[in-house]
Amino acid sequence: MDEHIEQSTQASERDQVTAATRRTFLKAVAGAGAAISVSTRFAWANGEIGFWSKDLTNEQLIGMHRTIQRIRWFERTCVDKMLTEPGYRGYNHFYVGQEAVATGVCAALRNTGGIMGADLVYSTHRPSGHAIAKGVDARMMAAEYDFRATGLNKGYAGEMHIADKSVGFIGADGMIGPGPVIATGSAFAIRARGSDQVVVNFGGDGTYATPHFHSTLNNAALLKLPFIYVLENNLYHQYAHYSYSCPLKDIAAAARTYGIPGVVVDGQDVFQVYNAAKDAVDRARAGEGPTLIEAKTYRYYNHWGGPGAKPGELGAFGYDPLAITSFRPEREVRAWMARDPVDISRDALISWGVLDRENADEIEGAAKQEMIEAFAWADEQPLCDPEDGLANVFVEGTVASRQFG
Amino acid sequence: MARKSFMYSVLEAVQHEMQQDDNMIWIFELTPPVASTPGRPVINLEREFGRMRVVNTGIDENWMAGCVLGAGLAGSKAATYIPYQGNCMCFQMLQNHAGKLRHMTGGEAAMPVVFVLEMTGQTPGFAGQHSDYEIDTYYAHIPGLKTVIPSNPTDAKGMMASALQDPDPVVFLYAAGLRDLIEEVPDEPFTTPLDKAAIRSEGSDITIVGSGGGMPEVLKATERLQAEGMSVETIDLRSLKPIDTETLVNSVQKTRRLLTVDQSYYTLCPGAEVIARVAENVDGARYKRVAFPDAPPPAAPEMFLWMRPNADHVVGAAKALVG
Repeated sequence: MDEHIEQSTQASERDQVTAATRRTFLKAVAGAGAAISVSTRFAWANGEIGFWSKDLTNEQLIGMHRTIQRIRWFERTCVDKMLTEPGYRGYNHFYVGQEAVATGVCAALRNTGGIMGADLVYSTHRPSGHAIAKGVDARMMAAEYDFRATGLNKGYAGEMHIADKSVGFIGADGMIGPGPVIATGSAFAIRARGSDQVVVNFGGDGTYATPHFHSTLNNAALLKLPFIYVLENNLYHQYAHYSYSCPLKDIAAAARTYGIPGVVVDGQDVFQVYNAAKDAVDRARAGEGPTLIEAKTYRYYNHWGGPGAKPGELGAFGYDPLAITSFRPEREVRAWMARDPVDISRDALISWGVLDRENADEIEGAAKQEMIEAFAWADEQPLCDPEDGLANVFVEGTVASRQFG
Repeated sequence: MARKSFMYSVLEAVQHEMQQDDNMIWIFELTPPVASTPGRPVINLEREFGRMRVVNTGIDENWMAGCVLGAGLAGSKAATYIPYQGNCMCFQMLQNHAGKLRHMTGGEAAMPVVFVLEMTGQTPGFAGQHSDYEIDTYYAHIPGLKTVIPSNPTDAKGMMASALQDPDPVVFLYAAGLRDLIEEVPDEPFTTPLDKAAIRSEGSDITIVGSGGGMPEVLKATERLQAEGMSVETIDLRSLKPIDTETLVNSVQKTRRLLTVDQSYYTLCPGAEVIARVAENVDGARYKRVAFPDAPPPAAPEMFLWMRPNADHVVGAAKALVG
């Protein structure tokens, strides 16, 4: 346990309202948590924050599990296409392994109402999971990943720039740094117009090193913005271990510097992620300011694409020619895969009597089928018209072609 | 002499300078200073010079640029390799500090530093942020910075050596699309001037001017036009600041026709500066510009490849100008 985190968490105002009933409740669930979790090494959030996910309806709990499976099979379908279809043009920064983070966070958000009503999500260059969890249409994403004219963003975006305002998914961003700063701008506008929306920025461990990370937290804290920074620490930024860019073991400890709560959660456990997100969202909606959540997690694939992966098999192992600085040992990948977010969610719901094995298998089968059909639909979509590249520079009109002289 | 890639050639020059100068430092992220080529030793600057001098930082290009600038101000030679994703994150350090400090201090500040700024522009599918090329215009505009843009491994090695030996800050634009170019490059150290364009072919009908990542397509177009009987003078700018006005003017005085080719956006592309300088000095010439439209590069290959200047575009524009 990191003392700094404990202090900042305990200092937060919401602890003042902890009810005795909740304490009793926590004792009860602590036993359940231990029973389903292979390891509690990362489960520092347990017992410190409300176990809100226990209060969810069966439908909501099953919905979260379904989302995890849908993300998993969107990604697995995509990586298999990349590996087996030489003509397939899509690419992906695979999110597999981190599904519980996007799912748990977005389950605590309002995902309808457009940019004036929904909670807003800023994503990264690894956006599939965030987008699906926020409610973006998987078929439209699959079409966009293959640059189809009828894709989510008409072929202009590819994977790294998908956006869908209708569900409050402001979008993916291929850069490391500016995203969270811009997200606080949205939070500022929301506060100024008296809305109860909140803004979530997903970022990785690599963002700690950027000046933008610190500017974001400083300004969010100073202005008490309805803002949540969900830092997915998957241990590697691009091809380097996060120890190359951050002197802290727990990046959440940085929250103390800015006087805001910093919470470490087990990013493989969707219920823990939800619990932490719910706390943070409640705080933000109540005008109590920002929270930094660090989810300890891991990606099963390399930074980009499918090097080291085999068709039909989960995960990528072995040499990635780009990973010269920090090579990910196969044992490390396998150790994390042993705590799989799909299994943790599935086993918990079965042990709680929310699902039986048959239901769980049906959910997985349906998710797999949905994604196979989504990518098949995408394959049939029309390609872009080259001249459309001159449109959408401004609201109106097109710019001139200049390549012909 | 051995066949070497762009990166191997660059690192060979850096390695030599670091062996000569024990104070020199190299800062990188993402792109390790490692390269190999058949028949030559692997270059690994981090291993050879250690992490006191060669550091893999976090994702913070602002710091990377500031760090080498500060090293220069403290009297050490320094260089950084900033990948294309972050090539404008460090803009302020170059625009308001590196470019101005010597002048603002009346010559007091010395900055023997090199900013290797990677640029892309070659990759369909990645969309705006990972396909852009426009920084040649941005950095060439800054006073007090020399801005060079080699287009082949030999020039890359010679110009890197010159840049590292230069007492002023140099922006060394590294077009990522040239990574795959391999050619015979001398093993021994040599330098190539930072202020001279290269005439790649001599001719009298038309002058075609390109630079950096656009050069392979320009050279391809040159060959095709020559095969059709056109006498083409092709110039590789190599340096955007200073621009080798003399070579450009001499050529167009002969050909009376100037076609510039840029991967950069049309407005204020390097070709615009080339045409302006020639027009000031040559009467009665005709001009054309081929450039990327004033639109961010879209992801879809159909759109992007149609918009990015290629050999067909150059051939078509050259014929329109000469015909």
